[in-house]
Order: sequence, then structure tokens, then C-alpha cells
Amino acid sequence: MRTTAAELLRDQLKLTGTKVSCELQVCGACTILVNDAPVSSCCMLACDLDGTTVLTVEGVANGRELHPLQEAFVETNALQCGFCTPGFIMMTLGLFAACPAPDAAKVREWLDGNLCRCTGYQPIETAVLLAAERLQDGTARA
Amino acid sequence: MSVLPALELIRHTELRFVLDAVDDDHVPYAGGTELVPALRLGLRRPTAIVDLKRVHGLTTVEVDAPARRTLIGAGVTHRELATNPAVAEHAPTLAGAAAHVGNARVRSTGTIGGNLCFAEPRSDLGCILVALDASCEVRSSRATRRLPIADLLVGAFEISLEADEILTEVAVPFEPVGLSYWKLQSFERPTLGVALIRGDASWEITVGAATERPTRVVIDVGDTIAVDTFVDGLELSDDLSGSPSYKRAVLRTYLAEALRGPAS
Repeated sequence: MRTTAAELLRDQLKLTGTKVSCELQVCGACTILVNDAPVSSCCMLACDLDGTTVLTVEGVANGRELHPLQEAFVETNALQCGFCTPGFIMMTLGLFAACPAPDAAKVREWLDGNLCRCTGYQPIETAVLLAAERLQDGTARA
Repeated sequence: MSVLPALELIRHTELRFVLDAVDDDHVPYAGGTELVPALRLGLRRPTAIVDLKRVHGLTTVEVDAPARRTLIGAGVTHRELATNPAVAEHAPTLAGAAAHVGNARVRSTGTIGGNLCFAEPRSDLGCILVALDASCEVRSSRATRRLPIADLLVGAFEISLEADEILTEVAVPFEPVGLSYWKLQSFERPTLGVALIRGDASWEITVGAATERPTRVVIDVGDTIAVDTFVDGLELSDDLSGSPSYKRAVLRTYLAEALRGPAS
């Protein structure tokens, strides 16, 4: 019963795309979607995933084809070391699920709880807005 | 290898079974926002956690129109609080504050009941609920009782519930005209929160986050000396987000501005 969602994913299922850092719900590196809502997998018990739909960063791309959000991250240099990136991707997909056409203020507010020590955040905001725009106007696959 | 100590999970869908299960060693568990880090740090050492998330009736929001109040199940998450239409209509300030608690992950899982029962002083909801004179329903296998939120929150990280009692519901009076909530925040939690009700005859000021528990005062409209006396007499916390004198200066300045001119 003491297994966290992050331990289940990383240690048992070997899905190591989900990262663990602060273990206090402050940094966002371990974000996964549970029933479309972002949660910190480091602070959620694995038993609470029972009966839910879970999406981790491993499930975002379609085979070798990146999701439009991932493409936008690559295009705008929204990552450097990449440790925080799975968290930002999952957090943003949670945003798109709740609010498909966010403005810059909404993006900043939503990602307020995710830390990146490389980029300075601006390229991440640019990537998120670019992906939202493409997903909205149909120039990217949903 | 788990970061958490060994734990038994007790899970029921009916409240009466949960009430039979909880005690000092079998602790209520909902969002885990506060409990899981506390378990990890060894601050709490229960033998079992009693899951409240699947208990019928703890996650509903109902409007009690005759009594002019909204009944919010203790297991309602901050995210639901922020988006529920009934809460938005009858307690918009509470809904607005819930939309900015922690971050979107905390809001997905953290509950109103957990927020209150952990009694972290740096809470927006506690301050607003005390300002609204909200009450809660508390149940155990022995009895059901109702008490004001102001009496639930007795100190920093301290509530007035027995180990076998569970907070089941928060009753929130319909929001009066003239309520506002303002907070100063630099980190994950508020540094200072002020809920203000500017009525025709009185100013009701509730200060939270920097105080051990939400502290409320009712002052005649225009009595700025009484406001100063109240602010000067508050015992304010000293932490990384600021010294007591800094918080007092911010509070004094905020209130002077917020109370100036006619009520909107």
C-alpha cells in the first residue's frame, strides 16, 4: 500500500519518463494525467490509480511521430537538460484538456507550479501557445 | 524500495464502516497533499490509512436554499470547488481562492476537508470560511455534531476533532455583498490573507496565513483607530516569507487602502 504512483511507474513498470525531484508537489517533474487531470505522481499512492485512466509522457507521441506539443517544444528550444520537460508536457496536456485555447496569462498561471532551471521559461510559454494555436486551427493532429 | 513506511489501506464506500475504522493509528486519508509528505518525513506514523475518496456522500455539493447556504462535502477537491456552478454562484470569493490554491496538481487532489483538518495556517480557504461564518459537520460512530470553522481551527496544525471523528461537510452561508479576499504570496503558500466584509454599519476583517489561525474582528464603519489597534495587537508569524513587522506594515497599508472611500 505504500507504493507511490511514481514508484509504480518507474520501478515496477520501468516507465522512467516520469521524473521525481522535490517530492513535495512543488516542482512538477513527476506530473502525470489521471482522468485528464494533472497530479503529482510522487505524492499519490499507486492504489489510487485503481479504476482510473493514466497518461504518462511515454503515451504522448504516436509511435515515432511526436505530439504537436512535443514538436513545438523542439522547434522553440523549450528544453535544455530535459529533466523537467515530461512534467511540463503532461501539465500542459492537462491545461489543454481543461482549456483548449489558453492565452499567455492562463499558460503562465497554470505552469506556475512547474520548475525549470535551464530555459528561463519564455521558450516554454512560446511552445505551449504555438501548440495550442496549431491544435485549435487544425494544422496539427489532435 | 518505497519512500513510505509500511501501511495498511482501509477502503469503504459507506461512511459507517469508515467511522468504525478511524482512530489514532488509522488516520483519514483523502487527497494526500499533506498526509503523504508527512508520512514520508515520519511526522505521522499510522499503521493504516482510511481512504475517504470512495465514501458515498463526501464529494457532493448541494444548495440548501431555505437556509441560504451551500453544503460542500469534505472530499470535494479544490478543482471542483473552483469550477462548481453552485459554489461560483453562492460563494464566488471562495471559488476564486480555490482556483489559486497551490498549483493545478494540488488542486486536482487536495480537498476542502483536508485543507481544514491539516490546519496549515497558511491557508486561503480557512480565512474565507471563518469570515463567512461557515460551519462544519463532524461525525463519529458515537455522535454527529456541528461546529463553526472558527472553533474547528484551534491553532497552527491543530483542530478540535477527536481521533475517531471525521469532518464530513462544510456549510457555507451565501456570500454577503461586500466580501473580498486579498492575499500576499511569494512562495507556494500565502504569506498574508485578508477577508474583508464591508457592510453598511460594520467592517468585518479576518486575517489569516500570518496568524496561527484566522483571526476575525468586527469594527464600526469609519473607526480607523480600532483597525490600527487590531492590526497592532495581532501576533504574526516570523518565517522566510517575512518578519512580523513586514507583514504588519503590509496589512496596515492594505487595510488603509481597502477601507478608504465608499463600499462598492
